[in-house]
Amino acid sequence: MSHQLSARKVGKTDWPLPGSQALASRFDRRAEAFFLMAVAGMLVLACILALESELALAGTLAAAGGLWWWGVRAGVVAQAGAFSDRRPWAARLVVAAAATVLLIAFHGEHYALLMISTVLLFAAACAGINIQTGLAGLANFAGAAFFACGGYTLAVLAKSTALPHFLAILAGGVAAAAIGAVLLLPVLRTRGYYSALVTIAFGILCSSFLQVNEQLGGAQGLQVPPLTILGWDMGSGFEVAGREVSFYFAYGVLALAVFLLSSLVAHAIEWSAIGVNLDATRSDELVGSSFGINPQRWKITAFLLGNFLIGIAGAVYAGLTNFVSPAGATFEQSLLLISIVILGGIGNSWGALIAAVLVILLPEKLHSLQEYRVLIFSVFVVAVLLFRPKGLVPRRMRDFSVMEKRS
Amino acid sequence: MNDRTLVCSDLTMRFGGLVALDAFSLEVRPGEVVGLLGPNGSGKTTFFNVVTGLYKPVSGAIRFGDKDLFRKAPSEINHAGIARSFQRCRLMLELSVFDNLLVGAHNRLPNGLFRTLFGRKAALRSIAAFMGAARDLCARFNPHIADRLFEPAGSFNMIDRRRIELCRALLGGPRLLLLDEPSAGMTHDETFRLMDDVTGFQRESPELSIVLIEHEMQVIERVSQRCVVLNFGKKICEGSYRTVVADPQVRKAYLGEDA
Amino acid sequence: MEISFAFQHLVNFLMLGLIYSIVAVGFSLYFGVVDVVQFAHGDVVALGGYAGLAGILLAVAAGATGVGPVVGMIVLALLATGAAGALIGRYLVMPLRQASPINVLLITLMTGTAIREALRLFVPGGSNPSPFPMVLPDQLMTFAGVSMRVSSLIIMAAGVLAIFGTHFLLSRTRLGLAVRGVAQDEETARFMGIDFKRVVILTFVLGACLGALAGIMSGLYYRQVMFNMGLMLGVIGFCAAVVGGLGSLMGAVVGGFLFSGLQIFATVALPIPSAYKDVFAFTMMICIIAVRPTGLLRERFEERV
Repeated sequence: MSHQLSARKVGKTDWPLPGSQALASRFDRRAEAFFLMAVAGMLVLACILALESELALAGTLAAAGGLWWWGVRAGVVAQAGAFSDRRPWAARLVVAAAATVLLIAFHGEHYALLMISTVLLFAAACAGINIQTGLAGLANFAGAAFFACGGYTLAVLAKSTALPHFLAILAGGVAAAAIGAVLLLPVLRTRGYYSALVTIAFGILCSSFLQVNEQLGGAQGLQVPPLTILGWDMGSGFEVAGREVSFYFAYGVLALAVFLLSSLVAHAIEWSAIGVNLDATRSDELVGSSFGINPQRWKITAFLLGNFLIGIAGAVYAGLTNFVSPAGATFEQSLLLISIVILGGIGNSWGALIAAVLVILLPEKLHSLQEYRVLIFSVFVVAVLLFRPKGLVPRRMRDFSVMEKRS
Repeated sequence: MNDRTLVCSDLTMRFGGLVALDAFSLEVRPGEVVGLLGPNGSGKTTFFNVVTGLYKPVSGAIRFGDKDLFRKAPSEINHAGIARSFQRCRLMLELSVFDNLLVGAHNRLPNGLFRTLFGRKAALRSIAAFMGAARDLCARFNPHIADRLFEPAGSFNMIDRRRIELCRALLGGPRLLLLDEPSAGMTHDETFRLMDDVTGFQRESPELSIVLIEHEMQVIERVSQRCVVLNFGKKICEGSYRTVVADPQVRKAYLGEDA
Repeated sequence: MEISFAFQHLVNFLMLGLIYSIVAVGFSLYFGVVDVVQFAHGDVVALGGYAGLAGILLAVAAGATGVGPVVGMIVLALLATGAAGALIGRYLVMPLRQASPINVLLITLMTGTAIREALRLFVPGGSNPSPFPMVLPDQLMTFAGVSMRVSSLIIMAAGVLAIFGTHFLLSRTRLGLAVRGVAQDEETARFMGIDFKRVVILTFVLGACLGALAGIMSGLYYRQVMFNMGLMLGVIGFCAAVVGGLGSLMGAVVGGFLFSGLQIFATVALPIPSAYKDVFAFTMMICIIAVRPTGLLRERFEERV
C-alpha cells in the first residue's frame, strides 16, 4: 500500500468526472459493464467446471486472461467497479442472478456445486480478512484457524446441543470473534508486526492443539451431522420437474448468500465514517489519534467483525463438507487465504472472488500441477507483490460524491 | 460562560535524562494569536505534543476552559476543541481530499458500528451534509481544491496539501488551533496568503485562538498579538513581538554568546 | 529428580536456547538495520541444514574423511544461505522498502514458503526427514554421574562463538560500525559515505550465515533435517527476538533462552501433555509482550512528529 501514485492513474477514468451531466450520461455504461463482467465470469466459471481436458482448460484460461486484459484497457473493469460502488445492492443482485443460473446449470453435478460453494465460502472469509488487513492494516495469518474455529463450534453445537443449526452457524462466527479478541487485546497497543506474530503463532498452535486434543477428535477431526437450516434439510437432494437436484445445490445457495452478505458488510464498513477511521488507523495512527480516532478501538472493531465473517463462512463450510479437521486450520491454509487476498487485491471483495476461483478451482482441475501448487502460488504471489502489489482488482478510491448525487 | 482559555502551568516533560519542557507556563485566551518562538530543539513541538496528548508530561497542569486535560487521551483532548497541524505534512495521499477532511471532523460524524451497518442511509446523509462545509472551507484557501474535492490528496502540490491539512484541522470546529510551522517549504507570498486566510477565518469565529510556531519572523510580526520564546524547554521571554525581538536573552538564544 | 535427567534437561535447555538465539539474532539484525521483518529467515535456516547435509555427502563422495566432511558441511551451508540471503535482500526486500511493512513481511513469508516447498519437492525423499550424519567426534563423556556427548559440547561451543563473534563484529570492526550507523540513522550514514546498499546486502548475508549455523546445529543435534523445520524455528526465533526487543542482540539471546526455558519448564514441571509445551511457551511469551510491548531490553523505535 505504497504512497506512490502512478501518474497515469490521475486523470484517467478511475474516478467519476465532476459535473452531473457527465455522471448521468455514463450511468448506462457502468451498469452494462458490470453486467458484462458478471455474465463473462459466469461463462468462464462454467467452462472451467465443465471441461475435463487440461488443454481445453488452458485455452479457456488464456481466453479469459485476454478478455481481462482487454477489459482493463477498455475501462470496463473500472466502470464495473464504479457501478458496484454506487449501487452495491443492485450489483450483488446481478451477481446473485448470474450465480443462480450457474447453480441451476450444474444442478445435478455434486462436484461442481461443491466447488462453487467452496469458492464462495473462501471468498466470504477473504471479505472478512479484507476488513482486517485492507482497511485496518492488521495482518491476520491465522485466517484458516479462525475459519476452523467456526467449523468446530458448529460441529460441537450440532452434535451435542439442540440449538437450531442456523444459530449454531452464527455461534461459529461469534466464537471466532471471541477468540480473536483474546488474541488481539494484548497486542493492540503495539506495532503492526506484533499482530502478525501473534496470529502466526496462534495459527500454528491451533492446528497442533487440534491434532492432539482428543475431545475435539484429534487428527481425525469431527463429523458434522446433516444440517437443517430454516426447515430445509440440507443433507438430502430433491426433485424438481422430474430432475434430480443434488443436495449441494442448497449449500450453493447458502454459500452465495453468505458471500454476498459478507461483501455487503465489507462495503458498508468501507463506505462510512468507520471506513475513514480504519484507513486513518492504518496509514497514520498518530494523526488519527490527534483528531480523536482511537486506534485501539478501531483495530479491535475491525478484527472482531472480520473474524465474525470468517467464522460464519467456516461454519457453513463444515456443514458443506460434513466434517472438520485440524488439516483445515494449518498455517499453510492461512497462507492460502492470504494469497487469495493479495492476488485479488487487498481490500476488494470482488477481487477476492476472482482470485478464489483461480487459487482454489484451478489446482483441482489441473491435476498435473497438483503437487506443485503451493510452490507455484507462493512464487506467483511474490511476483504480484513485486510488480503489481495492488492485485488483480485494486481497491478503488472511495468517492463520497456518489452520496451527494443520490441524497 | 464556558470561557475556553488554555492554561498550562509548570509543564515538565522528560525523555529519559533530557528535559524537553522545564516548568513551562502559558495562557492563551479566546481570540488570541500567540507566536511560539525559539531555536531548533527548544521544545516547541514537544509542547504541542504534550497539549494534544501525544506525550504524557511528568508534572504540571493543563486546563482548557473548565476541562482538565492533563495526561488525557488525544481523542478526549480533540473532543474538548483542540486541533493541530503538523510540521511534516501528514495526509493520506491515496485517499480523496474529502476523506482526509473527514478525519478532522471525526468527532462530528456517526461512528457507531450498529448505525453504520443498519442505519446506512442516515449515516451517509450525515457525511453528505459535510460536503458543503468542506467545499466552502477549502474554497477560502484555494477554490481549485474545492473543485477537486474528490480527487486523491496526492495529486495536489505541496502548498495545496498544506492548505488541505489546515482545512482538516478547521473542519472539526476547534476552539484552539495549534499550527506547527505552516510556512515550511513555502515562499514569503504563499505564507502570507495562507496566514491571511487563517486570520480571515478567525475573524469570523472570534472565539478561535491560535498558537503558531514559526521561524519566519515577518509572519509572527504580522499576525501575532503576543509572543513566547522557549529555549531548552524554558520560557525566556514573553511579550509583544517588538519586546521579544529586542530582548538580549532571546538574541543570545538565537544568535549565540557573541550576539 | 535424578541428576542425570536434570543434566539432560540442562543440555537441552542450553542447546535449544542457543539455536533459537542464533535464529533470533538474525531477525533482530534484519529489523535493526533495514527495519524489516524477514520471514524467510526460518526457511533459510532449513536451507542451511540441507546444504550442510549436501556438503557432507559431497565431501564423503569425494573421499574426504575426518575434518573434510565438516569443512564441506560448513562451506556449502554458508555459500547456499549467503547467496539466498543476498538475493532475498537485493531483489525482494530492497525494492519494497518504501511500501508498507506488511508487504515486506508478506513477500518474505511467501518466499519462505517457496523455499520450503522447493526443499520438499526437489530434494530426493524430501517429504520425509533426511538423516543427518554425525561428522563430529561423538564419544560419550561421563563425569560425576552425568553424561554428555562431545559433539554436543562442540556444537554449543560453536554457537556461543558465533554469538560472541557477531557481537565483536558489530561493536569492534569498521564493518560493524557501518552496520550500526545505518541501523541508527540511514540518511546520515549515507552522508558519511557509507555505501548503504553494500551494508544492507552484507547484513542479509550475515544474518543468513547465522541461519546456516543454526540449521547445521539443529541437524547435528537431532540427527535429521526436515523440509519444514524452518517454519517452527522461524516463528520461535521471531517471537524470541520480539520479546527480547527487536533490534537488540542481547535481547535476541535473552528471548531465545527464555523460550527454551519455558519449553523445558512445561515439559518438566507442568502436569500437561508435552505436546502442549509449545502452546504454553508461546502463551507466556505473548503475555510478556502484552506487559512490555517494546520488548524486555530495548526496541529501536522513534517517531518524529
